[in-house]
Amino acid sequence: MKNFVLRIADWGIAMIAALAFIFILVFSGNASAMLTARANHDHITIDFFYHGSTVSIRGESDPNVDLVIKITAPEEHQVLKQKGKVGGLLWMNVGQLKFEHTPNFYAVYSTKKLDEMLGKEEMEKYVIGYPALEKHVAVTPAANEEEKAKWFNEFVKYKEASNVYVSSSGKISTTAKADGRQEYYILTDWPYQAAPGDYLVTVYAVKNGKVVEQAEAKVNVEQAGLVKTLATMAKNSAAFYGILSIGIALGAGFGVGLVFRKGGGSH
Amino acid sequence: MYLYLPVALTSINILVPVGLGLAVGLLSGLFGVGGGFLMTPLLIMFGIPSTVAAATDSNQIVAASTSGTYAHWKVGNVDFKMGMYLLAGGFLGGVVGVQAIKLLHAMGNADFVIKMTYVLMLGIVGVYMFIESLQSMKKKKTTVVEEAGEEKESAVGRFLKSLPLQTRFEKSGITHSIFVPIVLGVFVGVLAAIMGVGGGFLMVPIMVYMLRMPMHVVVGTSLFQILFTCIEVTFLQAYTNHSVDFVLAVLLLLGSTIGAQVGAVFGRKLKADQLKILLAGIVLVVTVKIIFELTLTPSLLISQAGGH
Repeated sequence: MKNFVLRIADWGIAMIAALAFIFILVFSGNASAMLTARANHDHITIDFFYHGSTVSIRGESDPNVDLVIKITAPEEHQVLKQKGKVGGLLWMNVGQLKFEHTPNFYAVYSTKKLDEMLGKEEMEKYVIGYPALEKHVAVTPAANEEEKAKWFNEFVKYKEASNVYVSSSGKISTTAKADGRQEYYILTDWPYQAAPGDYLVTVYAVKNGKVVEQAEAKVNVEQAGLVKTLATMAKNSAAFYGILSIGIALGAGFGVGLVFRKGGGSH
Repeated sequence: MYLYLPVALTSINILVPVGLGLAVGLLSGLFGVGGGFLMTPLLIMFGIPSTVAAATDSNQIVAASTSGTYAHWKVGNVDFKMGMYLLAGGFLGGVVGVQAIKLLHAMGNADFVIKMTYVLMLGIVGVYMFIESLQSMKKKKTTVVEEAGEEKESAVGRFLKSLPLQTRFEKSGITHSIFVPIVLGVFVGVLAAIMGVGGGFLMVPIMVYMLRMPMHVVVGTSLFQILFTCIEVTFLQAYTNHSVDFVLAVLLLLGSTIGAQVGAVFGRKLKADQLKILLAGIVLVVTVKIIFELTLTPSLLISQAGGH
């Protein structure tokens, strides 16, 4: 269980502050203070007893801003099977759909409902929320916008079913600090379905329908120990792995057969 | 207790695969089927990706069928000679079937053909076995044993007898041309490759009704044959698709190896007709389930690519 205890983040606040400062220069004219973001579990290790984890993100912002926290995996190209009706009666796979520029993990949390705090253009610019993500991805084949919307909705349903897509508002808690700044905090469930890899946490400060500041943090998910050894072996020494799997199965079958002969006797 | 599966990339309660293994292993030992037609969809239902489910199931069947073959061999219910001929045919059929699948995919209607083949085969086998075993159970009740030695000489029977290279299968107490099991093996091999299943549910009725082997020898011989098929499939899946999850396979085989032993013991206490009618019932239930899946609107209209 020792491996399971997750190492606490060791981010230099100064570094993030510097990063945030650059964002201020780039994105904002009038913000006076700096937005910070820190993930407490930035390194999640997967061992045999891994059943998901939690990730909390905290930081400071100006007091009078709304916040959006987005966690994403790198964008990729995904091919999925498409079900349709054949002959007006039978449901079966009728072809493949390609989804381009789609992250395998996409979670958005916000202090208010997204469309109450951000304009459409702003959401699209930063790819915040499902409608913006829909605009961002390319779906082929899709003859028109209507068809694209249909399949994108199905795609989101599929991803939500395995807990790797989330969109919810109101989960971020904020508290005013003595120095006039605001502290925010969110604790999110990290699903075990999220594949090993690097994840990017982006925090957006929103004011008057616009993103005024941005800060980033990282979460890395990695397999460890025997889980890693087996996963690597399955990929890199496939022949040996196959023979080993067969050997163990044969051994187990014979072993149990022998045990039953000793135990069963009279049959 | 949950365990993480390194290839399936998901976490599963260990009671699920052990329990599934036990149940499906029991069916293997009883009826001589691998049980892939039950296990693979159940694993997918519990969140295992479809490609990993199919590949890992074949790895698990290696263990279950070893255990089952061993149990049936101890009481002399494996016809190794017949098994080898069927296996030779099945191997050839598999090669042909894989090419057929490639052709179907190129033509673009693979899924339709696969699903229809599946439903038709399951339906025909289930209904035929069900009616036949029901009739023979009734017959035995009314006319007792008198027709034990009855041998209907049908046109097909005469044709089979006229083929060259007739050979005696001692264990089964039958004589056939070696071409009969080889051709039947090819037939099952082609269909199994197209449907992506082991083919036990086809092989068992073929041995019973076309080769006229005694039911108890059929179960043992079928398991022996399945063992080799699944060794080959496991290796190919591990080597080309990297989709065998070793940890999941071990959890499954914990249950299935024991289930197969229990099934073999239990099967010896049942009469051949009782075994046949039970298997027919299971095959029919699976057929109905697939028909429902085909006609009801699915909750998700997209799914993972790869596998059937």
